[in-house]
Amino acid sequence: MVAVAGRTYPAVQFEIDPDRVTDFARAIGADPAEGVPPTFAAVYSLYATAPQLFADEDAAVDFGRLLHAEQEFEWSRHPRAGETVTSKGRVASDASRRGMRFVSFETETTDADGLPLCTSRALFVIRS
Amino acid sequence: MSRRAVTFTRDQIAAYAEASGDRNPIHLDDDFARSVGLPGVIAHGMLQMGIAATVAAEAAGGPDRLRRLSVRFAGMVLPGDVVTFTAEPAGEGKLEIKAINQRGEAVLTRASAEYAR
Repeated sequence: MVAVAGRTYPAVQFEIDPDRVTDFARAIGADPAEGVPPTFAAVYSLYATAPQLFADEDAAVDFGRLLHAEQEFEWSRHPRAGETVTSKGRVASDASRRGMRFVSFETETTDADGLPLCTSRALFVIRS
Repeated sequence: MSRRAVTFTRDQIAAYAEASGDRNPIHLDDDFARSVGLPGVIAHGMLQMGIAATVAAEAAGGPDRLRRLSVRFAGMVLPGDVVTFTAEPAGEGKLEIKAINQRGEAVLTRASAEYAR
């Protein structure tokens, strides 16, 4: 395992599919008529980019021992269904203490004009 | 104060897995979940956060107004658990969020939101 703080991953484009937004809204008990639920950011921001970290052999994140401990989203604007957004993941910090590894993974999502939409900050704890 | 009590079900967890794309078998397959030391399938933390966001959005006057939401995942939620989510004012444009299960345990902690007024 190599500490990978500061590592960035290539940008990922994601099209916000209206049908998927509707299914997501229903699953959390939101009204699909109210647009893209704020936490659909889990999909277009976090899940769009975290697999790059999990597949990074240098980072060597043991997915079976991984716990999603904290999550924060900050929005400049909520995207509309049908938009294509771009998300870029970055390891903000990577530290081990008391036999646990703490990886803070940040994702910046922008719209087609490059304007900010959302920042996702996930804290993953990996038990050794 | 906005409030919503949710009884978690396997169907809802499976629907969230499908819609979100997080199909980790700890959320879908009891045998697999037990093999990694869990009591059975558990709800996604992000499903809990998604429900908390609906309650925060109601308190904020609509989902478009939410500007920030943060949570710490503090406890497991199993099918059949009843979690009461609340969002209450905590200063100008701020909300304090709670998610408490049927045993009185907080499943989300340090949960808060900010919204545009």
